[in-house]
Amino acid sequence: MEDSNTVVITGMGAISPYGVGVQTLWEGLSSAKNCMHTVAELEALPMVNTKVAATVPTVDYSFIPRKHRRGMSRMGLYAYCAAQEALRQAGYEEAPHNLGFFMGSTLNSIAVWMSLAHYIQDTHLELVKTSDFLQIMNHSPLASVCQALKINGPAMGGSEACATGLMNMGLGFLAIRSGLVEQALCGGTEEYHPLFSACFDIMQATSKNSNDCPAAACRPFDATRTGLVVAEGCGLIFMETKKKALERGAPILAEVLGFNANTDTENMAYPSAETLRQCMQGALKSSGVKAEEIDLLNAHATGTIAGDIAETQAAHAVFGPQLKINSLKGYIGHTMGASGSLESIACVKMLETQQRLPTHNLTQVDERCAPLQYDVKTDKTPLNIIMKNSFAIGGNNCSLLMRRHL
Amino acid sequence: MITREEIIKQTNEALKKEFEFTDEQLVPSAHLKEDLGLDSLDAVDMVVVLEQKFGVTLRQGYDWRSIATLNDLYNFIEKLAHTSNQ
Repeated sequence: MEDSNTVVITGMGAISPYGVGVQTLWEGLSSAKNCMHTVAELEALPMVNTKVAATVPTVDYSFIPRKHRRGMSRMGLYAYCAAQEALRQAGYEEAPHNLGFFMGSTLNSIAVWMSLAHYIQDTHLELVKTSDFLQIMNHSPLASVCQALKINGPAMGGSEACATGLMNMGLGFLAIRSGLVEQALCGGTEEYHPLFSACFDIMQATSKNSNDCPAAACRPFDATRTGLVVAEGCGLIFMETKKKALERGAPILAEVLGFNANTDTENMAYPSAETLRQCMQGALKSSGVKAEEIDLLNAHATGTIAGDIAETQAAHAVFGPQLKINSLKGYIGHTMGASGSLESIACVKMLETQQRLPTHNLTQVDERCAPLQYDVKTDKTPLNIIMKNSFAIGGNNCSLLMRRHL
Repeated sequence: MITREEIIKQTNEALKKEFEFTDEQLVPSAHLKEDLGLDSLDAVDMVVVLEQKFGVTLRQGYDWRSIATLNDLYNFIEKLAHTSNQ
């Protein structure tokens, strides 16, 4: 393929329950450091079964100019940190001209919305500040990071719940392929609020039998799993044409081979294996890659009963029983709108280090999950191509392929 | 009745907290826009915090264009505080 039509990754930025930075994320993952903890607000709610979450440690954000910080709720602050890191790795202090920016979240800041709601309930609208509104627009993180880092290309805030991060990577990839932009920053951001846990708990999708041992709360594919652990963070990836990267001498981290997305119209919350299969099959076709060339499937696998079963069945139908599969949510929980891009960053690190991370907390595979190669830790075969999946409540599915850069 | 010194002290406290100014920046001659960098959105938030601080309504009769410097702001609050006490 022509270098002008090949899309590569030249920068990455992350803020995660492990802290600030891609290296911090990678060190946390590769050492299986625990970042899960109980949440006091959940412990005070007897009707909520889950008590565990994974949140970003306290960070001093005063280095961000106040003018820009005023429009940022926590998810905006996370996005600024990740964007700055990704730009710097790509070789920029400020955004290059016409950089595309594709980023969204599941919800906007619940905390800021709740404070605004109090003003109305208490009829104290005179207390509402402009900064409150600047922080709760659907595209607030996108807009405030554009202002702060002078991103002047097309900025679009796709929002597809848990698939947001990967969908926006797909949008960035397509925007570059189409010629709309040469370079794009893309991914998702999310900030935790106990209401997230409470709502997923009502839908019986949360982890609930490991509240006394938070480190073991999220157990993708495991026979004892009971659901997901809500988390937060931001992952942003800088993509560009290979031609542009070569011209400016930017180190290439990985290549994006292809992307596909589809929508399950049967049910908002229960994924159908057939639709997931079609999604992955389409991603292979988009990439011009055969099923047997996939060295690892980094699954969406949140640790819910139905989701893990459907995804493994779909993967089995596409790849057969020899497929190596892992999930990263046992380490950092489900970072919601950030998960697709944060986990893609981990995938790039896996390609770079030739290391397959095992699925944390997986000790006995649920026999209802399809037979696949779940024990990836000891695999020493080359790791060249990874498929990354993200699926969302609402039926929004996507898959993206990344290849090691040699 | 609140003194001018107290108005200056409380105004500066509110502005420091809201806009992260240092004491050195808050000289009476400081221009709100040019020296302190406050824009029209900041002006709205400044009114909110000063109304809370002094327990008065500033936004009615408030004209951003007539208040260029910190000293203008002190004068405006002093006049309003004294009027509301009459």
